[in-house]
Amino acid sequence: MTGRPLEGIRVADFCWIGAGSYTTKILSDMGAEVIKIESNAQLDSLRVAPPFKDGIKGVDRSGYFADRNSSKKSLTINMKHPDAREAILRLIRKSDLVTNNFTPGVMERFGLGYEELKAVNPKIIWMGMSMQGQEGPEKSYLGYGLTIGALTGLHWVSGLPGKEPAGTGTNYPDHIPNPCHAAFAALAALRHVRRTGQGQKIDVAQTEPMIAMLGPEVTAANLRGNRPPQGNRQRDVAPHGVYPVAGEDRWLAIVVRDDREWAALCEVLGVPEEGRFRTADQRMTHRDALDDAIAAHTRDRDGYDLMAALQGRGVACGVVQTAADVTDRDEQLRHRNHWQRMVTEGVGEMLYNAPPYRFSRSPSTLRGPAPKLGEHTAEIATDLLELDEDVVRDQSEGRLLY
Amino acid sequence: MTAPKALEGLRVLDLAGPFGNYAGKMFAGLGADVILVEPPQGAPSRGIGPFLDDRPGPDRSIRFAYENLGKRGIVLDLETAEGRDAFLDLAAASDLVLESFGPGELERLGLTGDVLRQRNPALVLSRLSAFGQTGPFAQYKAEDLTLLAMGGLLFLGGYPGEAPVAAGGGQAVLCGNLFAAVACMVALTGAEMTGEGQDIDTSIQESVVMALENAVQFYDLEGTVRQRYAGDQRQAGAGTFDCADGQVYLLAGGVAATKFWINTRQWMADVGADGAEVLFGDEWFGIPFLRTRGAKDQFRRTFESYARSQTRAELYAEAQRRRVPLAPVNGPADLKDNKQLQFREFFVSVANALPGTDLLMPGAPYRLEATPWVAGDPAPALGEHTEEVLATLAGAADQPTRRAKA
Repeated sequence: MTGRPLEGIRVADFCWIGAGSYTTKILSDMGAEVIKIESNAQLDSLRVAPPFKDGIKGVDRSGYFADRNSSKKSLTINMKHPDAREAILRLIRKSDLVTNNFTPGVMERFGLGYEELKAVNPKIIWMGMSMQGQEGPEKSYLGYGLTIGALTGLHWVSGLPGKEPAGTGTNYPDHIPNPCHAAFAALAALRHVRRTGQGQKIDVAQTEPMIAMLGPEVTAANLRGNRPPQGNRQRDVAPHGVYPVAGEDRWLAIVVRDDREWAALCEVLGVPEEGRFRTADQRMTHRDALDDAIAAHTRDRDGYDLMAALQGRGVACGVVQTAADVTDRDEQLRHRNHWQRMVTEGVGEMLYNAPPYRFSRSPSTLRGPAPKLGEHTAEIATDLLELDEDVVRDQSEGRLLY
Repeated sequence: MTAPKALEGLRVLDLAGPFGNYAGKMFAGLGADVILVEPPQGAPSRGIGPFLDDRPGPDRSIRFAYENLGKRGIVLDLETAEGRDAFLDLAAASDLVLESFGPGELERLGLTGDVLRQRNPALVLSRLSAFGQTGPFAQYKAEDLTLLAMGGLLFLGGYPGEAPVAAGGGQAVLCGNLFAAVACMVALTGAEMTGEGQDIDTSIQESVVMALENAVQFYDLEGTVRQRYAGDQRQAGAGTFDCADGQVYLLAGGVAATKFWINTRQWMADVGADGAEVLFGDEWFGIPFLRTRGAKDQFRRTFESYARSQTRAELYAEAQRRRVPLAPVNGPADLKDNKQLQFREFFVSVANALPGTDLLMPGAPYRLEATPWVAGDPAPALGEHTEEVLATLAGAADQPTRRAKA
C-alpha cells in the first residue's frame, strides 16, 4: 500500500474553531479530501487567533489555525446567499461525510439537516459535534473545552486537595478526547456504508467522550461519592510525584513501584536507605517525609542527566518538558520526525504536528499545509459545485463565493 | 430485530499489556468481536485501580471492568509453544491485533506483524508503546505521570509557583489508546480496500504532545513559553469562581470574548452585583488590562458577591439563558444527576459488571443512529471464553482471508 488509506474519501467540512477542525485534520492527513467550507463573512475565529507568523495578524498567518487544518482545501461560500444550498447539495452528492460542530439547528437552518442530505445522497454520513448533543433540554448550551472540562469532572479530578480545581490548563477535551472519538465513529460509519450502502447520522456531544475518558473515576464515584483530588499522588504507590531539579521551574516526575527500584533510586540520588522507607507500605505511611527526602536530593541535579541516570537503572521518570523542550530538545520526537515545517505561499514556514502514529506501509507524514482562506474556491466551485464560469469569476458585492 | 453494527464481522485480538484496553473497548462498543487475550496471571489492568472498596484483587478493578466491557476473554501463555501456536491460529482468523508489550517483545516471541501476515496478509497490527518502537527513549520505563511530563501537558497543569499537577484519570495512556484506535480504523480501511494489512507504531508521549493546544506555536512564532495558571483567573472573567454549593467555571473572556463580556456585565448589572457599574468601562475590552491584578480582583469581587448566593445549577441555567459560557465544576459523582445526560440515557447500568456487583458506567461516547453503540456483556472472568473461542476459531484459521468489503 503506497497510497494513503483514506484516499478517495471526500469530506464536506463545516467544522471550525476547536474539536471539529482537529477531527477532520486526522482524516485529511491520512488521505481524505477534506473541503473546509468557510466564509469571509464569518471567519473561523482561529484564523484570527494568535500566534501569527512574524507577529503580523492575518487570516492565513495563525500558527494555531494552521496546525489544526493541515492537508485540507478551503472553499469560501456565503451560506446566506440564496444559491448556496443548491451548490452545496451538488457537493454533498459527491461526498462521503459531512461534518459540523455548530449548535444544533444551524445546519437545519441552512437546509442541510440529515434528512435533507439523505434525500440527495442516501450514502451520506452526517456528523454533528455540538457541545451537548443534537437533542435534549440543554442541547443549545454553549461552551468551550475549558467549560466542558469543568462540567464533566476533569477539572475536579485534576488538582491539589483543599485548593481550587486545576484541570489541565488547556481546552483538553477539544484536542484529543473529542477529535479521536469523532474520527473513530466516522470511520466506523464509513465501513458500514461500504458494506451495506446505508449512510447515517452521527451525534457526538462534546461532553460525552470526555466523560468516557474518566470512565473508571466516574463509575467508582457512582458507588462511593466524590472524593478530593490526589494531586500527583496515587492511592497505592509512593513515591509517585514531581520533584524539583536544577533551574527555574524545572521538575522531574518519578514513580517507584518496588523495592528494587527504590534501592536504585537511593543509589543514584545518594539518599541513605532509611529504615522508615524500607518497604512499600512504609513508603506509603511516610509519604510526606519521603517526598521531602527525595526533593532534597533532586533539587540541585540537572533534570535530563538525572533522567538518564535513573532510566539506566530501570526507574520510571521523565522531565516535565516545556513547549520549548518538546520542540527543540526532545531527541525521541526528533527521531520520529514529529515536527514538520511547511510553507504557506506568501506567508512562509510554519510548524505542524505530524500524527502520533507511523504506518509500516502507508505514509504517515502530513500531505500539505493548511489552506489559505478560499485557496481552492475556483477549483472546487467548477469541478464539484458545477458553477458557471461567470459565477466563479464574480467579484461583486454580495456574491455567492465570498 | 436488533440494529446492525458498524463493526460487524470484524475480529480483534486485544493482547493485555501494560497500557490498558480502552482501544479494544472502542471496537467492542461498535460491534466488533473483541477477544481479550490474558496471560495465565491475568491482565495487568486487573491490578490497576480504582478498586471496589479500595481493596485490590483480580476481580475488583473498576478500570478493568470498564475497559473490557463487551469483550470475550481467553487465557493464552505466549511463553509456551502451544500458546503461540494457538495465537497464530487466532490471528489468522482475525482482522486486527492490539498490543502494548513494549519494543522487542513480539520479536522475542516470534510474533511480529510479518509473521502474522504470512497466513493473513490483511491483518493490521497495532503496537502502542510509551515512546514508539525505536529511538533513543524507546526502552525508557514509563508511567502515566512520566508520559504526561515528557509530552509537555503536565507543565501546563497546576498552580504558579508550585510543582505542576497532573490531569487525573490516567489521561496519557488513554490518549495513546485513542490515537491507536483511530490509526487502526485508518489502516483497516486500507486493508479492506486493498487486502493488505500493516503495522502501526503509536507513541503515547507523541499522543500527549497533540494536547498542547497553541503552546508550541507560541514558542515557535513568538518565543514565549506558556505557563500554568490554575488558582487564578487567566484574565479577568476567565476562571473558577465560588458559589453557594461549590464552584463554577466562567469563560467571559477568551475566544469570541467580546459578546460574552457584554452579556456577562449586563447580567451582573441586572442582578445588582456589587460594583457591576465598574465593569462597563471601555478598558475591560483590552486584554492587557484584563491581565492586571486589579481587574481580576475587581471582577471576582463583583461576580462572587452575586454567585455566593446562587447554586451551581442556578448559575448554569441563568448563564446559559444569557448566552454566557459557564459550567458547574462537577465532581464525577454529580454527572449521573445531569439532566442532559439523563435525557440522552448516557449512563448504562451493567449487572454483574464485576462478580456480584452492578456498576453504573458512562455509556455511548457517540450516537450512530443506524448502528448504535452497545454495552455488551460484562468484562470476562479470567479465561471465561477460552474453550469456546479456541473450539470455534481453530477450524476457521485455514479458510481464505476474510474481507469485509461488500
